[in-house]
Amino acid sequence: MVTDVLHPGKSTVPKTEIREKQAKMYKTTPDVIFVFLFRTHFGGGKTTGFGMIYDSLDYEKKNEHTHRLARHGLYEKKKMSRKEQKECKNRMKKVRGTAKASAGAGKK
Amino acid sequence: MAAPGVLESDFSSAVTLLKNLQEQVMAVTAHVQALTKRVQAGAYPTEKGLSFLEVKDQLLLMYLMDLSHLILNKASGGSLQGHAAVLRLVEIRTVLEKLRPLDQKLKYQIDKLVKTAVTGSLSENDPLRFKPHPSNMMSKLSSDEEEEGEAEDGQSEASGKKSTKSKKYVPPRLVPVHYDETEAEREKKRLERAKRRALSSSVIRELKEQYSDAPEEIRDARHPHVTRQSQEDQHRINYEESMMVRLSVSKREKGRRKRAHVMSSQLHSLTHFSDISALTGGAAHLDEDQNPIKKRKKILKKGRKKKGFRRRR
Repeated sequence: MVTDVLHPGKSTVPKTEIREKQAKMYKTTPDVIFVFLFRTHFGGGKTTGFGMIYDSLDYEKKNEHTHRLARHGLYEKKKMSRKEQKECKNRMKKVRGTAKASAGAGKK
Repeated sequence: MAAPGVLESDFSSAVTLLKNLQEQVMAVTAHVQALTKRVQAGAYPTEKGLSFLEVKDQLLLMYLMDLSHLILNKASGGSLQGHAAVLRLVEIRTVLEKLRPLDQKLKYQIDKLVKTAVTGSLSENDPLRFKPHPSNMMSKLSSDEEEEGEAEDGQSEASGKKSTKSKKYVPPRLVPVHYDETEAEREKKRLERAKRRALSSSVIRELKEQYSDAPEEIRDARHPHVTRQSQEDQHRINYEESMMVRLSVSKREKGRRKRAHVMSSQLHSLTHFSDISALTGGAAHLDEDQNPIKKRKKILKKGRKKKGFRRRR
């Protein structure tokens, strides 16, 4: 859905507050609600963004983008150091085709 | 009283006119009596017809009645001054005038109905039947292509259909035309375009409004660049909201938007008038503030190395 937030006189409302408000409006818990891409209009006072409400946590974990799940703490991205990334890439360069997948990450 | 000379010349014409009048009145009376008999006998049933036409009928009849009453009054020597029938006539006439555009709109339908009533039913292949026929809207070209495919390749109809669906688009081969435009023609075209632009400028528009009889329209008219930009903005917003994405705005877009915003916020149109020299024949004068001279962008030659930080355009 498209969410319009009116906040005259205040700065942009943080996403957590918006989620709380939406939970109250739609009578759900705030963990199934995801809001993103908020842009404040020129002059302040109005912000427009998008929101999504899932039926259950399972659907949410399966269908939502990982970076948004990460914002809620439900997903951890594995952080490879720069050195490791480059070593992975160089190992992959030696192999052709589907073997790249096993060669690269496997030898870690 | 008029002089006796005039009276005598008028006498003969008056007698002939009166005789004509009498003949015509007798013919009309006979006609009207026949019509009345037929209507009373119920030869013209109007329950299932167009109520609009029925209203028109009744109005015309009332008009005739009032008119004949007034003629009778006048013929027996009375005056028409302030007669109630005159007001009624005026009212009926106004209503009839207002009904005329409706008549125009119904004209096609009424003609079709009359034709159907006269000739019986329409033929099967009549392209102007009442109901829409979606089967007629299917493209006839696909069937032609199929036939050609069958004839040439000898394939079955199913594979013929598939081949037409997956056929690569071949652009039509156009015959190149010789380019013949001379300098004079180009000048003429430029002049034409300048004239058209001048005609739609604010000066000429105001003159037109002054001399035309049409009622004055007050519109929220904005600068054409602004309306174009606001339309594009609206399109962008619609896209963003329906796809739930945010589109990036390039530098050019930002510049255009800024220019449009500036143009709408300034009182630009108060002091700057567009150039109507195309119509008046004078020399074209360019207002410096209006048309800033566009700086030509340097076209970098290939292989030319630019030292240092290259500014992103």
